[in-house]
Amino acid sequence: MKICILGLDCCAPEIIFQDERLVNIRRLMDAGVWGRLESVIPPITVPAWMCMSTSQDPGSLGVYGFRNRTDYSYSGLGFVNSASIRELAMWDQVAREGKRSILMGVPPNYPPRKINGISIGCFLTPDTTTDIFTHPPEFKKKLEELVGEYPVDVKGFRTDRKDWLRDQIFEMSRKHWTVVKSLLKEQEWEYFQYVDIGLDRVHHGFWDSWDKEHVLYEPGNPFESVIPDYYAWLDQQIGEVLELLDSDTLVLLVSDHGARRLDGGFAVNEWLIREGLLVLDEMPKEITSFNKLKVNWAKTKVWSEGGYYARVFLNVQGREPQGVIPQAEYEAFRDEIKKKFEAITDDKGQPMNSLVFKPQELYHHVRNVAPDLIVHFGGLAWRSIGSVGHGQLHVQENDTGPDACNHAQFGMFLLAAPNCPLRGEYEGAKLLDIAPTLLDLAGYDIPASMQGRSIVAGMEKKPPEGFGGDDKENIIRDRLAGLGYI
Amino acid sequence: MKKKAIVIGLDGLEPSILEEMLGRGELPHFARLRAQGHYTRLATTYPAQTPVAWSSFSTGTNPGGHGVFDFVRRDIDTYLPDFALSRFERPKNTFSAPRVVNQRRGVPFWKLLGDAGVPSIILRCPVTFPPDEMRGRMLSGVGVPDLRGSQGTGTFYTQNRGERGGENEQIVHLDAGDTFTTYLIGPRNTRANPPADTRCEIRVEIDRAAGRLRVHTGGAPSIIDVARGEWSAWVRVKFKFSMLQSVTGLVRLYVRQLSPHVEFYVSPVNFDPAAPLFPVSSPGDYSKKLAEEIGLFSTLGMAEDHTALNNGRIDEAAYIKQCSLVLAEREKMALHELERCSEGLFFVVFDTPDRMQHMFWRFRDPEHPFYDRELATIYSRQIEEHYRVYDGLLGRVLERADENTLLIVLSDHGFNTFRRAVHVNTWLFDNGLLALKEGHKPGEELGDGFTQVDWSKTFAYALGLGGIYLNRKGRERDGILEEGTDAERVRCAIETGLTGLADPEKQRTAITSVSRAEQLYSGAFVAEAPDLLVNYAPGYRVSWQAAVGGMPHGLFEDNLRRWSGDHIIDPQTVPGILFLNRASPRVAADIRDLAPTVLGHFGVAPNAAMEGKSLLNGQ
Repeated sequence: MKICILGLDCCAPEIIFQDERLVNIRRLMDAGVWGRLESVIPPITVPAWMCMSTSQDPGSLGVYGFRNRTDYSYSGLGFVNSASIRELAMWDQVAREGKRSILMGVPPNYPPRKINGISIGCFLTPDTTTDIFTHPPEFKKKLEELVGEYPVDVKGFRTDRKDWLRDQIFEMSRKHWTVVKSLLKEQEWEYFQYVDIGLDRVHHGFWDSWDKEHVLYEPGNPFESVIPDYYAWLDQQIGEVLELLDSDTLVLLVSDHGARRLDGGFAVNEWLIREGLLVLDEMPKEITSFNKLKVNWAKTKVWSEGGYYARVFLNVQGREPQGVIPQAEYEAFRDEIKKKFEAITDDKGQPMNSLVFKPQELYHHVRNVAPDLIVHFGGLAWRSIGSVGHGQLHVQENDTGPDACNHAQFGMFLLAAPNCPLRGEYEGAKLLDIAPTLLDLAGYDIPASMQGRSIVAGMEKKPPEGFGGDDKENIIRDRLAGLGYI
Repeated sequence: MKKKAIVIGLDGLEPSILEEMLGRGELPHFARLRAQGHYTRLATTYPAQTPVAWSSFSTGTNPGGHGVFDFVRRDIDTYLPDFALSRFERPKNTFSAPRVVNQRRGVPFWKLLGDAGVPSIILRCPVTFPPDEMRGRMLSGVGVPDLRGSQGTGTFYTQNRGERGGENEQIVHLDAGDTFTTYLIGPRNTRANPPADTRCEIRVEIDRAAGRLRVHTGGAPSIIDVARGEWSAWVRVKFKFSMLQSVTGLVRLYVRQLSPHVEFYVSPVNFDPAAPLFPVSSPGDYSKKLAEEIGLFSTLGMAEDHTALNNGRIDEAAYIKQCSLVLAEREKMALHELERCSEGLFFVVFDTPDRMQHMFWRFRDPEHPFYDRELATIYSRQIEEHYRVYDGLLGRVLERADENTLLIVLSDHGFNTFRRAVHVNTWLFDNGLLALKEGHKPGEELGDGFTQVDWSKTFAYALGLGGIYLNRKGRERDGILEEGTDAERVRCAIETGLTGLADPEKQRTAITSVSRAEQLYSGAFVAEAPDLLVNYAPGYRVSWQAAVGGMPHGLFEDNLRRWSGDHIIDPQTVPGILFLNRASPRVAADIRDLAPTVLGHFGVAPNAAMEGKSLLNGQ
């Protein structure tokens, strides 16, 4: 059975499953199994899509975000690329049987993976006009014949120029779906996976224009309908794609994480300084990013990176160059810091209810250089601000540019396959369950390394009873009724 | 200079009536148009049927070139009659939508105009469902089903428990009392097991003193009051297929009586132009925009509710009211579009004359078996009155036609009386060409759909509104007839036997001739045509039962339905009408000539398939 995955980056279950105008999605829901999908921690595009594709948690992949510490020095974080992930993915199982796959924009996919088939770079591609971002490289020509210059992302999407942003996102996505349809129709494939990044950009750009609970929401603002419009447009695209598939195909709509309103940012390093855990030689006069600060490492115990979540690092003796926390006290100290983070309050002095995780407790393996703690401020209602010089702990402006939403722990899935024994809403599915489930339904071996479980494991692969159909005779009889002449 | 062409289609306008009225000076605008340009009778297609003729108009070809031969065709796998104007494609996988495909093939002339940069506005042309992709705007016409997928199935509500449902009608028995809850019947949910009708609950209150019925619709408007003998405005209601999927549709209510018991009628559920189940316009959102601009309108292909009248659920007066509502919507959209049409083709079809004549012919024909002397005193001139409406409309169109505008007014066929029905399948049985399984003989009890036919001994069968098919080996599921001598013998037997067939009871000839497909048709789709076409004499038509594979006892039957006029007879006897606002050097005109005529006006060459010639050129 063919596998067709339409990834909807950041897709929010509470939108896609509620809007009854999304007729194609509704039809698919009626034909399949669907529900919330618990993402990994952290619920971030990288590594989440690869966690899904390999059924391995972030620790096992050794990838904890877009940027990771490459060693225990203080030199900051390095970007991941497609080579950072070496675990077996679904398309490798397909390739083992000699069949072809197509990957389009599945992050990280720069440099483009050399799979058995076609692969197209994701939004991490630096420059599509000069870089090789397709495999095979000559496929780029075909892309350009189809849509002209191929955009992997909206450059500068963190902007206040909202109408420009909206137009840019739609233009990019139009090109993407033109390519999707062309690939599905004209190429040979057994496995197809696309990630629509436009939806993520729409959420980050317009969540405050749409979500009435958002602190920045203004009733009647001109961008109120951008998010629902984008979903309606996606529904149309999905409808067209479904028309291109033959009956022996499994379809999955899936998101890597959900979306939620952002109440503000928490200046984590500013807080660490106030707590005496981070010491600077000199306090900056204006807002300064962490890597430009003069940190007194000999006196610093804890520092953190910004982002949608906080990656907190401890300065450990014998591990970091100027480590101060004795190895023997590491665990006790980490517990103490964890408690401190959990006690942080919001701008009104109310408990923020932050979630603080130890990688060793979360993951099967902790590979490469993991953060010592991962913090979801206010359960991701607040983002992590890494820069210093705000003069306050709770801020409304984001130090990396305007951003209206954060990620949510629960994304969505909607799976329809002719042989799927499940129908209707399903509770309890996890991102890592996707790969084993799809391989199970499509009849491939499930690699032992995969950490999730098939949600249809042990079930007979046939549709449930009770999905009847009118016989042809009744339908024909109905069609003539009322003709008058007969 | 921007050129325009306005084409007004008046379905079924009969030349003899029109010419008489012109002679009496009752149609001043038609007379003006004739004086300004040209009038002639217009040769129609074989058979003389709306979908066939308008498709030949659209493509400029005989039916062999567009593939529409009848309203009804057979499903080759089952021998069952099926609707011929569109094809329903089951979803090709478990998750994609079912599709409808238009069965009118060939290239309509507006496609050629569009390719040459000339836009078109096409309103309600038959057999444009689903709509063509085209330059301009199109609203689909005859062929658009109701939400049940039928050509119009209404629902009759009655407190009389003994009342039974009529033809192509749903019946709902109401509780006694002055307030009750009942439901509207929506599309069948074929995914349910067993398949079941969707419903939408309504609450009804009777106000006897005021003589009206109040309905809490659950839709929009949420409350309507309808007086006895009146139609409601459109109500938009929603039917849920499942927790997730629903569809909206439009209905009108008609209140028939409040005492001694309550009876009302609900129209077929029309597609909602704002959210049609399948697209009814091109571009897809045009129907929605149009409804926003001019208000809601019926989308059903056969919008006039002839079935309700045929079943006696509404009377003639109510039917006329309902036709007027349809006509008003059509006129409103036509003038709205005409007003903003600055170049290119504007084409609208009015179906109501056809539907009016079908139902009112009996009042002008004292020899009709269902002639009603009393009602005839009221309705004998109803058709003429109706024609006058179009004269008024034409006046308003003429105001909008300047010297650069080509104006064409045409009908696709004429009309005649329909007194007697012919059971053609019974004739085939009597003549040894159609066999029944042992122990069966012709009779009403066989029903339709060829239930007891022994296909292994059957050479020919009649299906549709005039066609006869040979039971061909390799074509029909249980075909036995080889092409060659055997097939020829069967053709000859039918031709000889049916030509000049006499109705002994009435001392009249019922059938004038039989045509062969190969004489009538050429083009890519000839193989789909019936092998033979029966050309009935005026007053006769194929029987209701034979058209759908029934074979009652006997050859002839009086037509005792209100559907009392028809045109599916020898096409020579039912030509249409044609007016041009230009002089034409041609004496005779054929419906296939119109496509080249309009194309010629815009300087666009016809394609190779088009058979007619522009009426504006001397030939």
